[in-house]
Amino acid sequence: MADKESSDTSFSSSQASNPLSRKLNKILETRLDNDKEMLEALKALSVFFSENSLRTRRNLRSDIERRSLVINEDFLQVFQSVKEQLDSVYNDVKSMNECCQDMTSRLKAAKEQTHDLINQTTKLQSESQTLQVKAQVADAFLEKFQLKPEEATALRGSRDGTLHMDFFRALGKAKEIHKHCKILLRTNQQTAGLEIMETMALHQESAYERLYRWAQNECRMLTGDSPDVSSMLCQAMEALEDRPVLFRYTLDEFGTARRTAVVRGLIDALTRGGPGGTPRPIELHSHDPTRYVGDMLAWLHQAAASEKEQLQSLLKKCRSNGEQIQDILGHITEGVCRPFKVRVEQVLVSEQDAVTLYKLHNLLKFYHNTICQIICKDAALLNTVAEIQDLSHRMFFNSLNCNANKLLDKVELPPSDLGPTNSLNQTLQLLKDVLACHDASVVAIDDKKQDYKQILSCVIDPLVQMCSVSASRLNSTDMAAYMANCIYLMQTTLAMYEFTDTRLEMLQAQVDAQIDTLVSEQASFVLNKVGLAFVYGTVQQHQPKQGPLSALPDMGGPVLKSAMSKFDSYMASPDSLVLPQSRLLLSGRVRETVKKNSADLICSAYKQIYDTICDPANEYKESPSIVPRTPDQVVRLLS
Amino acid sequence: MAAGPYNYSYIFKYIIIGDMGVGKSCLLHQFTEKKFMADCPHTIGVEFGTRIIEVSGQKIKLQIWDTAGQERFRAVTRSYYRGAAGALMVYDITRRSTYNHLSSWLTDARNLTNPNTVIFLIGNKSDLEAQRDVTYEEAKQFADENGLMFLECSAKTGDNVEDAFLDTAKKIYQNIQDGSLDLNAAESGVQHKPATPRNAINNDQAPNKEGCAC
Ligand SMILES: Nc1nc2c(ncn2[C@@H]2O[C@H](COP(=O)(O)OP(=O)(O)OP(=O)(O)O)[C@@H](O)[C@H]2O)c(=O)[nH]1
Ligand SMILES: [Mg+2]
Repeated sequence: MADKESSDTSFSSSQASNPLSRKLNKILETRLDNDKEMLEALKALSVFFSENSLRTRRNLRSDIERRSLVINEDFLQVFQSVKEQLDSVYNDVKSMNECCQDMTSRLKAAKEQTHDLINQTTKLQSESQTLQVKAQVADAFLEKFQLKPEEATALRGSRDGTLHMDFFRALGKAKEIHKHCKILLRTNQQTAGLEIMETMALHQESAYERLYRWAQNECRMLTGDSPDVSSMLCQAMEALEDRPVLFRYTLDEFGTARRTAVVRGLIDALTRGGPGGTPRPIELHSHDPTRYVGDMLAWLHQAAASEKEQLQSLLKKCRSNGEQIQDILGHITEGVCRPFKVRVEQVLVSEQDAVTLYKLHNLLKFYHNTICQIICKDAALLNTVAEIQDLSHRMFFNSLNCNANKLLDKVELPPSDLGPTNSLNQTLQLLKDVLACHDASVVAIDDKKQDYKQILSCVIDPLVQMCSVSASRLNSTDMAAYMANCIYLMQTTLAMYEFTDTRLEMLQAQVDAQIDTLVSEQASFVLNKVGLAFVYGTVQQHQPKQGPLSALPDMGGPVLKSAMSKFDSYMASPDSLVLPQSRLLLSGRVRETVKKNSADLICSAYKQIYDTICDPANEYKESPSIVPRTPDQVVRLLS
Repeated sequence: MAAGPYNYSYIFKYIIIGDMGVGKSCLLHQFTEKKFMADCPHTIGVEFGTRIIEVSGQKIKLQIWDTAGQERFRAVTRSYYRGAAGALMVYDITRRSTYNHLSSWLTDARNLTNPNTVIFLIGNKSDLEAQRDVTYEEAKQFADENGLMFLECSAKTGDNVEDAFLDTAKKIYQNIQDGSLDLNAAESGVQHKPATPRNAINNDQAPNKEGCAC
């Protein structure tokens, strides 16, 4: 087309200037490579312009136009069908629209019609919801306030009387329902509350009744060596605790069964012993009182401990059991009191040996303490032990008193050596044995002290009394020496034990009195032997108004001189004038004291005599030759 | 509470003997409380403790009587041997004198218990190795010669304590199983409880009152 344009342009401008040159120029300037349109046109042209002839050149235009026309016709044809289809789409859409409109209007109408129905349904729905809630509440209520059929069955139990765990669950539930009813009564559901309460009470009553019978039966069978306390029974006790009377009855039943078992156990241990006779039956040792009684007590101690444990395990689920356990334990251990008491009493009354009685007494005391830690003080068993202990105490002191009475009944004469009599020795040996078994005993110190006091006064007082009686026919020196010896032996015996200090002090005072007697006897013995006794007596009694001493009869210088020379020879060997009784003194210390104190006494007598003789008022000539020794010299010689 | 209707099916009675201060009370305490009691006072007379153990799936309650070792209580403690199923005889490995006294304890144990009583020798205070005064071998030989079971233990560290008590129980249980221990005899030291609850009706065990001499 550019071709045509350019030919048009060249044609009009060729008239204005040199058309050819311009045309030529134009052609020359044309840059065919860059003109894509031109290239395209030429390409298209080459398709149908196959023959370059004049005719064809002339016809070119019309050819092109014809071709163009054909192409446009093609277009038209194609678009025609597009249009037709669009038209049909349009029709479809239109009919759809109509349809929709129709539906909308119909829906609208329907909606208007169903509005009422919906309202009604909503109302019904909400009503149904309320009813459902009510149903749930009712269910919950029934669940909470009614027993399920199977629970009621469990409560009624099986015909053979056995019990299962379900029973306890059902019972617990009935109990809970009953409790909850109290809350009901506080609301405005009182009638229901009362009715349910009554039903539950009935359920419970019959259930407790059944439970009680079962438990009672179980307990009745617990008579073996060791009861089979099942956990079911423990549970039963826990449940029965709500019915104190039934609970108590059941416990009593248990107690009675155990009581029988314990009695049988004791009798078996006493008479049958272990398998094949080992350990041997306790009664086989009845000839050995401490072993016999000790074995019984140990058996009772162990039985009490076991029974307590069993009771505790029976009541382990129960709330308050301390006092009740003690109560029942007291009942259980009561049965053995009689067989035990009878046997021990028999031993006690037929036993005469104080030492054995004392051992038994200590043993009983020890076990009273020991068993006290398990069962309470006022239980029958402990009372029995205390009673027997009391009896043993009495029997022991009886035996001691008996012994004392025998001592005073037939008092032996003191032997010639002024030593102890047989009965003194025997009694002291008995005391030693008693105190020794006390030392080895097992009771508390406090009790010991109290006992000691009583034992000592029971033994020592009559002993001292006996010695005095036995000494009564002796002269005073013999008596003093004898008494000093006897008491000395008592002292040495007592000194080995505790708690005897006061006693020892009292005895010492008595010894001191005997020493005083012996001292003055010894001193006067010496003064008598050397002939100074008279001199000393006169000197002591002399008064100035009697005139000079030398003038008195038998107090002249020569007399005194001879006495003094005898005194001098005594001083050379003081032991030559010791009283024979002093030699018989058993205690070295007493002997020494007598010796020393009598020497002191002699010295002071000598000093008095010396001073008097040297006193010019007494007119002794050559007094130094009468008393050549000064008092100091005498003291030195005699000590 | 899955253990069945009974808490335990047997009760075994033990007695612990031996010189004072060898640690009897401490052993018992260690066994029942799993604790060491450093300043334990001398036992006065006898004391007792319990513990439930299990042997071959059976629950067994041990009732253990701890005696005083002091000589002055000897007469009292002798009364507790009867009816013991197990006797634990204790000495102190750091004090030879306590070992030397064993034969006297053993004589008592043999004379005063029943022939089936299991006697277990315990050398206590094994923690005090430095002060050891009795060798293991010597004591082992003594135990073997006398047919005793034997272990060295320490109540302080707890070493072997459990085993001594349990081995004794196993031996007693074995005696029951093989029939050498007659449970029906009185004072066997073992009490048996049936493993299942009896039926409610059982009248042949009605209380039988003693026609005793009282
Ligand atoms: N290191 C050590 N010390 C122990 C052991 N066992 C006991 N003891 C100590 O030994 C002392 C005596 O122990 P106890 O258990 O009272 O002795 P016991 O045999 O019961 O004495 P009695 O009751 O008098 O017969 C205590 O001071 C304990 O601390 C032990 O295994 N190791
Ligand atoms: Mg101890």
